[in-house]
Amino acid sequence: MSERVRRIGRLRSTVRQTILLPSGRAAARVLSPIDRALRPGANLFNRFLGSYVGEVTGLQLGLLVAALVALATVPMWAPLFVGNYMRTLAVACIWAVFAMGWDIQSGYTGYISFGHSALSATAGYTTALLAVNLSPVPSFWVTIPVSILAALVLGLLIGLPSLRLSGPYFSLVTFVAVLLFYRLTIGFSETLGGENGFQAVEVFTWDFTERYYLMLVPMLLVAAALTVVARSNVGTVLVAIRENERAVSAAGLDPTKFKLWSFALSSITMGIGGVLLAHFGGNVDPATFVVVDRSIEMIAMAVIGGMSSVLGPIGGAFLFVLLRDEILRLWFGHSTRWVMLWLLVLLVLVFARNGLFRWIWHAVGAVGGDRE
Amino acid sequence: MLDSLLSILITGAMISALYALIAIGFTMIFGVGGVLNLAHGALIMAGAYVFVILNRDVIWESVALPRLLVFPLAVGAIGLASYGLYAGLVRYIEDDPVITFLATVVVATMTTEIALGIFGDQPYAYTVVRGQASIAGTSVSYNDLAGFALSWIAIGLLWYYITQTDGGRSILAASMSERGAQLTGVDLHSVRTRTWLIAGGLAGLAGIFLGGDQAATPLMWLNPLALAFIIVVIGGIGSIKGSIVAAYLIGYTETLTVSMLGQSFRGILSLVILLVVLFLLPQGLYGREYVHE
Repeated sequence: MSERVRRIGRLRSTVRQTILLPSGRAAARVLSPIDRALRPGANLFNRFLGSYVGEVTGLQLGLLVAALVALATVPMWAPLFVGNYMRTLAVACIWAVFAMGWDIQSGYTGYISFGHSALSATAGYTTALLAVNLSPVPSFWVTIPVSILAALVLGLLIGLPSLRLSGPYFSLVTFVAVLLFYRLTIGFSETLGGENGFQAVEVFTWDFTERYYLMLVPMLLVAAALTVVARSNVGTVLVAIRENERAVSAAGLDPTKFKLWSFALSSITMGIGGVLLAHFGGNVDPATFVVVDRSIEMIAMAVIGGMSSVLGPIGGAFLFVLLRDEILRLWFGHSTRWVMLWLLVLLVLVFARNGLFRWIWHAVGAVGGDRE
Repeated sequence: MLDSLLSILITGAMISALYALIAIGFTMIFGVGGVLNLAHGALIMAGAYVFVILNRDVIWESVALPRLLVFPLAVGAIGLASYGLYAGLVRYIEDDPVITFLATVVVATMTTEIALGIFGDQPYAYTVVRGQASIAGTSVSYNDLAGFALSWIAIGLLWYYITQTDGGRSILAASMSERGAQLTGVDLHSVRTRTWLIAGGLAGLAGIFLGGDQAATPLMWLNPLALAFIIVVIGGIGSIKGSIVAAYLIGYTETLTVSMLGQSFRGILSLVILLVVLFLLPQGLYGREYVHE
């Protein structure tokens, strides 16, 4: 059996030797002057922020700034393209929040959750239920914190019992939890709206530009906060749990406590995303929020970008949503589009386990640097 | 009261047998390779659709293959598809359980999309064997009866294979201790090949009858798979005996819930049982402790 595996390995190394490495070197030669030019900026960044969010090289900083500028100026360049990029990118921002929320728990600790859409759905449904059942409808300043709190409470309800279970059992319980949530929305259709859900949630705004920024800014804030957590000691412990949980307890740390913290953090993030999604379109129904597909899509985004990082899931979410809603839509019908997307995810899983965006990030970081 | 009790007893037995088939395949693959195979659900759905395709005028427009031939063909095709999944994908990534888990999920979703693309989302109703029988005042379709009988035949054959033949015992050995099995000369590759083939065949069998019972839809696998999860965890991951016992426990719970509380409360009581078992008996009813090196 290993003969074929070895042959594929050999093929891969030939490809690397003859194509990837030389072209990489050529690209590095072109990019290294830019890297040198940006070095002072990077040094400044590292001195003030490096201890919180990690150090960057000149080119990495350039990439970050370029991406931020591109995101901030979307209303200027979006009309140049065919398609509804303002809406698509706003959706991508929401899904980036979901992907990051999944990743800070599942990607970092290795406890793969299939039930994260239940958390965002809790926030969405809380918002909807408050809007439907209370009159006058309470303001955003009341419903948003309450909804996020509800997501946190449900997260702890799922997390407290299930995080004591080991790997596969945890995944199974979360998977069943999301199916149960769906079943409940149908079973108690009088209170939970059934298959059609609620349409009564007040939309933030119908102005495309304004709505885009209302999605972008929370996403960036969440990303910044999660980066700080991930780069702190807590993040290191979470990764250590994934690598060797016994070693973590041998070091005198309680893994369950850290797993719970990551689950709580993840629930809050999912809550934020759920609230954004509820106020984005104004409808809260099982198909938008609850069904297992939504959980699997979050996972797919995080996997494409690169699990256990913060930038990876963001990049993955933007790539996934852009491909799904704009680029592939130009040529393919609904189910072909999805098949191609899943094929892409599968290819990334098999051939680039660490994710596309992590690979890009490290390749860029290696330009003109001392790292390999 | 007695009548409804009898009817619950009978319908529960029918559906539990199919759940047992799904759960056994799932637990065998986990026991031997340590792979949580979510694509198992896709195989269930594929079983129903392959049966439908083969049954619909394959050769000429009006000449359909006889069902006696179509049935084993469909089961065999799903067995091969399951092996193909192992040989073409899982084998290369099985060193990382998380990646494998995610990859099988992606395969399952992809297969669903393909089925949606080909057949659309309308349910396709068919029966494997037409007709109805009446047992003790409860009407039971021949489809369910045949499913019940065939699944017990399959379970019996599997039991004989696993306990009485060398080939089957090597599967059992590999699921107890991979290293121990290797040291006693078990060819792990052939064990895995056979495990995936058998598990696929069982999933195909269950899928054909589930589709005949309810109707084939691209998402028909989701609930049976979730129940199979619950069954496997309750029975003990890796234990075939546990899967059968737990399948009947869950099958009857489901039938009871549906007939007492209604269709929309399906699954809720099973989940409660799952939680209780997880806390009282974390290894399940018949599971060995969860060890994988």
